[in-house]
Amino acid sequence: MPDLTASVSVPRLAAIEYPLGRTLGQPGDAAGQLAVLRATLHALETIQTPGGIVNLPFEWPESPKVVQNSQTENPPIARYIVKHPWLLPRLLNRDVPK
Amino acid sequence: MEKTVDSFRFISGITRRMIRTWISMEKPRPIPWTPLAKPLAQSTVALLSSAGVALKTDQPFDQEGERQNPWWGDPSYRILPDTATENDVRLYHLHIDPRFAEQDLNCLFPLGRLKELEQSGEIGRSSPRHYSMMGYILEPETLLKVTVPAITRDLREDQADVVVLVPA
Repeated sequence: MPDLTASVSVPRLAAIEYPLGRTLGQPGDAAGQLAVLRATLHALETIQTPGGIVNLPFEWPESPKVVQNSQTENPPIARYIVKHPWLLPRLLNRDVPK
Repeated sequence: MEKTVDSFRFISGITRRMIRTWISMEKPRPIPWTPLAKPLAQSTVALLSSAGVALKTDQPFDQEGERQNPWWGDPSYRILPDTATENDVRLYHLHIDPRFAEQDLNCLFPLGRLKELEQSGEIGRSSPRHYSMMGYILEPETLLKVTVPAITRDLREDQADVVVLVPA
């Protein structure tokens, strides 16, 4: 989620459009993972101003639908919010109940 | 033409709404900046992952605590040697699918690939120690006051020149 990372003012950002859990690439795709890591380190040399962003050119080979179908069960907070929907605004505002 | 990365391509539903709201809550602030002190080919590079990676021999991240209180996440961190592989670790993160990285750690925590860049001379060396925390933390006070200073101290001891933060 590069937009979220950028919002907290990191010095340099290499943005990639890959799904959660596989930031560098598919299991077993050593060449693809190496290309992403190499491009990320290269951004360190090319970004010259604080907050600079490089959009990495890599394309994920699967559609969002295929990716979502391969995700595991919902995390505890998601199951909790389903049962306590009135607390959703507090989650959105990171207003944690005491 | 440079690609424009869509942060939300693989994120939907409540998570998408939540992340958009969190982005809108952030205010601009001064951006820290340290110039690259030496060429990459002479730099020690460390990785910091938010995937909740820990050695099987180390204490797991506390997932039971989060199951008991879903608003809470374990704010501690773990150290991993540069030689760690998927055979040596487990992932403790209830918000991502751990199966991919437990099959091939380089999906998330590319220690093997970093070692290859060391061997080809593209970086100076892979740091002897690398780091992981668990990224679901709604209230980051302990993370910022305790964990981050401890990781920073360790990185200085390791004489790391470059740290790559790898979001999970």
